[in-house]
Amino acid sequence: MRVILLRFGELYLKGHNRNIFENTLIDNIRTMLKGEDFKFEKTFGRYVISNFSQDAESRIVLKLQKVFGLYSLSIATEVDAKEQDILEEVLKIDCRNNTFKVFVKRADKAFPISSMDFAKKLGEEVLNKNEGSSVDLYNPNKTIYVDIRLNKKAYIFSDIIKCQGGLPLGSSGKGLLLLSGGIDSPVAGYLMAKRGMKLEALHFYSYPYTSLLAKEKVITLARKLCEYVGEIKLHIVSFTTVQEEIHKHCREEYMITIMRRIMMRVAEKICDKNDLGAILTGESLGQVASQTMQSMTSTENVLEKKPVFRPCIAMDKEDIMAVAKNIDTYETSILPYEDCCTVFLPKNPIIKPILEKVEHEESFLDIDKLVEGCLGSEEIMRITLN
Amino acid sequence: MIYLDNAATTQMFEGGVDIYKKYACQSFFNPSAGYAQSIEIAKELNVARDKILNKLGSSKGNIIFTGGATESNNLAIMGSKRNGKWEYVFSVGEHPSVYNVARELESQGHIVHFVGLQENGQIDYNQLEKVLNSKTRLISVMHSSNETGAINDLRLVDKIRKDKSPQALLHVDGVQAFCKLEYRIDDYNIDLYTISAHKFHGPKGVGALYVRNCASLKNIVFGGGQENGYRSGTENVPGIMSMVYAIENIDVKQNYRRVKELNKKLKEIFSKDENISYVNGNNPYVISFGFAGVNGETLMRALENEGIIVGTGSACSAKKAGNRILENCGLSKDKVKTHIRISFDFNQTIDQIEEAGEIILKTYHNLLEKVK
Repeated sequence: MRVILLRFGELYLKGHNRNIFENTLIDNIRTMLKGEDFKFEKTFGRYVISNFSQDAESRIVLKLQKVFGLYSLSIATEVDAKEQDILEEVLKIDCRNNTFKVFVKRADKAFPISSMDFAKKLGEEVLNKNEGSSVDLYNPNKTIYVDIRLNKKAYIFSDIIKCQGGLPLGSSGKGLLLLSGGIDSPVAGYLMAKRGMKLEALHFYSYPYTSLLAKEKVITLARKLCEYVGEIKLHIVSFTTVQEEIHKHCREEYMITIMRRIMMRVAEKICDKNDLGAILTGESLGQVASQTMQSMTSTENVLEKKPVFRPCIAMDKEDIMAVAKNIDTYETSILPYEDCCTVFLPKNPIIKPILEKVEHEESFLDIDKLVEGCLGSEEIMRITLN
Repeated sequence: MIYLDNAATTQMFEGGVDIYKKYACQSFFNPSAGYAQSIEIAKELNVARDKILNKLGSSKGNIIFTGGATESNNLAIMGSKRNGKWEYVFSVGEHPSVYNVARELESQGHIVHFVGLQENGQIDYNQLEKVLNSKTRLISVMHSSNETGAINDLRLVDKIRKDKSPQALLHVDGVQAFCKLEYRIDDYNIDLYTISAHKFHGPKGVGALYVRNCASLKNIVFGGGQENGYRSGTENVPGIMSMVYAIENIDVKQNYRRVKELNKKLKEIFSKDENISYVNGNNPYVISFGFAGVNGETLMRALENEGIIVGTGSACSAKKAGNRILENCGLSKDKVKTHIRISFDFNQTIDQIEEAGEIILKTYHNLLEKVK
């Protein structure tokens, strides 16, 4: 029987909490495969998916590759854990004119022959049957895996497909991603989701200074992230008045610092209201003026309760771009619509803002009113894949 | 809503929609099929060609129906290309559907010359004279600019061609001139002329290329050999018929007078504010206005909130063609960013323009107040 064998990684580390993690993972697998016909079986250390139709196989594999917490998968043949049955299946794999090795793993120690001996025995049979084949234990072109599990079944396969790794989505709470429309923020969202965090997203826009297309772009980005996280509640907030007021009352070079401090205040309020545990941003140390250590200190200073997670903080732009390409957000992110950060850009933004000076500049503004204004403009969209 | 982006596209005539429906639902036959009904359609297409020729002011020549101006321009340029050391001449003020074809020719290794613009948006005729020679294969110059409304002096272009390179073909992108300006292409000895239906109240996705002598042209798409082999693909009969309906229902002379008044009115309203400038093209249908101190794109969106639709055809984002064109008219990069394009339709009234003008002024001043 053709099956898909699933392996999970870090869950081993979770001790007594393991059940919670596993149940979350299994729920996520079921959600991801919604609409597909299949049977799910849990054996110790592996999950087995079976009873799917042939034409659904590649689709199911692609979907499983997007489930956080799964380490790898193999398309395998399941047979009863009997020597003869296993041998028959192993011999179906074509190794002619190729180097190979047989790798046997016994979770079921009751299997009568040791892993090493069984591998040797199978190897010999493969060698005899396949013309021009030879054994290469160190660098074989083909590896035949035989995985004998406690459910008295053996799984035979020759490929291991890497999955996302990470932790099951939802096992690390829920955060609010500041989604600007650039390259970095979707990557930050993806990386946090990979560590098990569910996402809501917050976008600030400055119509008419920015185009409605910029907002559409953010919706598209959120939708792309849904491939991994299922659904995103997107909070869209108008930032026009804030920018106009800062422009009117504050020194030009403080524009960005103050903007970001107000964004953080708005974000924290939205977190409180929606029971979100952290603010997530795509900041990368030193990438732009607002992402220096001092700028981030000054921005974070306004937060009372929530931590800011910045998974891209130590990544080079190139590496962030590589992830963006991998999760298919890059092409959308580089569409040339100004996001709200590029309007009213000062020529020389302050790189190392001093808190007292920032606070002095802010004293010319009615911050509470501006934050309330932003919250008043909030529009909520539930973004899903379809 | 007051729609002032008629250079981008126009609303179809209702009568044209009826015609479209007739040829889509009743007389829907394939003109190449050979039975009586389709032969009838083929005949009607030929009558349509004559009507277009007549409107263009040509006593001879051919009409090839296409999928619009971009395709017509590609066919005109790529179809004129010949092997050997020929040279090709374009103005820098061309629409991307010409300009980017020129860039493609260049990347294929052909010698391509770009002629600059004068401050009034017309091409630099002295420069044109300098680059033409006995190896020039094609000169491509737009009739009227979609960005500035500048009208090129085609009589002069023709004269320079005759003096310097009589062998060269003259292609004119007439998208913003056809059914708007009064002229006869026979007066300019034009070899190839592009038109697009949706710019004069016809449907989108249909246009034509006038070809004086088909021997000068090669097809660039291959297929069933329709349009005498110059443009394979079943003719868009409903589109063509409703395009011709539009042509027959446009009174160029009367419309021109009306639009000239609208244009004059708007300039008059804006003259109250010395911070508003414009590139003075001579086609009254299109003006490029600069609003000092604001970003044109922002102004466009602020106006949209007030029910006024203006064009982004001009200027603002770095990748747009408007940048290239306005900068070539001598405007600084910063100034180019302040421009929006306003383009009229003959159906509009002086009252509407007055209303729009006042709203634009007010919106501009509001915005200026916020960003200064």
